[in-house]
Amino acid sequence: MGIAEAEFEAVGEIENGASDRLRQLNDEIAGAIDRAHQALVQITNGERSIGAGTIWHSEGLILTNAHVVRDETPNVTLNDGRSFPARVLYYNAELDLAALSIEASGLPTIEPGDSKHLKPGQWVMALGHPWGVRNAVSGGIVIGMGAEMPDIPFSSREWVVVSLHMRPGHSGGPLIDTTGRLIGINTMISGPDVGVAVPVHVVKKFLKDSMA
Amino acid sequence: MTVLNELSNAMAAAVENVGASLVRVEGRKRMSATGVVWNSDGVIVTASHVVTRDEELHIGLPNGETVSASLVGRDPTTDVAVLRSNAKNLSVPNWASGEGLKVGHLVLALGRPGQNVLATLGVVSSIAEEWHTPAGGKIDYYLQTDVTMYPGFSGGPLVGVGGEIYGINSSTLLRGVSVTIPTTTIAPIVEALLKHGKLRRGYLGVGSQPVRLPAALEQQLGQETGLLLVAVEPDSPAEKGGLMLGDVIVALDGHPVRVPDELLAGLTGDKVGKDAKIKLVRGGQIHEVNVTVGERQ
Repeated sequence: MGIAEAEFEAVGEIENGASDRLRQLNDEIAGAIDRAHQALVQITNGERSIGAGTIWHSEGLILTNAHVVRDETPNVTLNDGRSFPARVLYYNAELDLAALSIEASGLPTIEPGDSKHLKPGQWVMALGHPWGVRNAVSGGIVIGMGAEMPDIPFSSREWVVVSLHMRPGHSGGPLIDTTGRLIGINTMISGPDVGVAVPVHVVKKFLKDSMA
Repeated sequence: MTVLNELSNAMAAAVENVGASLVRVEGRKRMSATGVVWNSDGVIVTASHVVTRDEELHIGLPNGETVSASLVGRDPTTDVAVLRSNAKNLSVPNWASGEGLKVGHLVLALGRPGQNVLATLGVVSSIAEEWHTPAGGKIDYYLQTDVTMYPGFSGGPLVGVGGEIYGINSSTLLRGVSVTIPTTTIAPIVEALLKHGKLRRGYLGVGSQPVRLPAALEQQLGQETGLLLVAVEPDSPAEKGGLMLGDVIVALDGHPVRVPDELLAGLTGDKVGKDAKIKLVRGGQIHEVNVTVGERQ
């Protein structure tokens, strides 16, 4: 084997190693999304899609935004295609959260993650039905979080602010981290390429306070 | 650990590390913007357009303190401003030349318009040769990314995944695209501003407007327009060099001059006090004259 040939092979090896890692990265992203999709639901009123929802508890507890179900008679369509009429259990317009209940059990859920220690720069993904496109995903990073975000409305509240395409129809869907854990409920758009989510620790508090 | 997790953690770590070198710059009425620590003497680099006033400047430090700062100088042509503060123990980041940076590389844009560091992710969209900004500033190389420039991100750094800073981002140098002023362009500007408080610029003392050249000359010179002199200041370098009203400048030191920006861009600080070769059209004939370039005050 000549020297030139040997060098050529060595370079090829490095490139294969890198593209293997890129492929692995793609597989990991797809895997995390695949699991999270099971817990993503569509909320409709009649034929009309009004937003997304996230299964919180396997016995039929669904989380979404208050603005999604306001003045609506919601129906919940699961990822497996089954559809159920839903009852609004808890509703808090200020937090923009609502909990729905459906007559179903054994539903897949997403393990809640740690939304109190999110870092700017870390990778996140938002699931939902933007403009009615079912089970769509967009990826990006955390811009920042907390209550003092410049240029974000209602800035006295706690938010996760993310740099990704969030659109109408993402509302109520899950925001997940690299391990596929739930870190927030997608809630609104604030300017181009800025998505805002309610952190999962706020969701927990909302449920605890509502139940008490 | 998964590749995705590793990548995510590396990006968050880069944000945290570089964040220690980012300050909030309060220098305009509207929202604050971002600056980056240049050296341990409290020198801060930011974008010129976010510092609209020359006094009453403040910077917000990573530890939450706000301290006053003074304007060392600015270069609006490259959108670079240099501030100085009394803040001690600022963390100096790794300013990198951009060598090895390629189209497609992941990059982060950071900002500190409020108290916290904010981040966004993108890829390098284009790397190309030296260019001149519309205001006539010379930029070592063209660096465009697809990062979203959120309000207050101007003056903030473009950061590689290893935490190195390739330059500062400006949302106003070119409309509609995110361009970065490279470290290699910033360094000599900062040096000059610290030394003289301003950048030396060449000066001729002419007023001009672009005019279409006659067809024959257009073909001969290979350019459609030149600069018609509509004013020549008395006692200016231009007058002393023999330039006259009605002359049409077509080249400076061998570089074509078609619009006023090209003349401005050609009159760099290093030409001050030296002879520049000016090619012009006078009475339909091409002439060449030497003008000793003065300094713009």
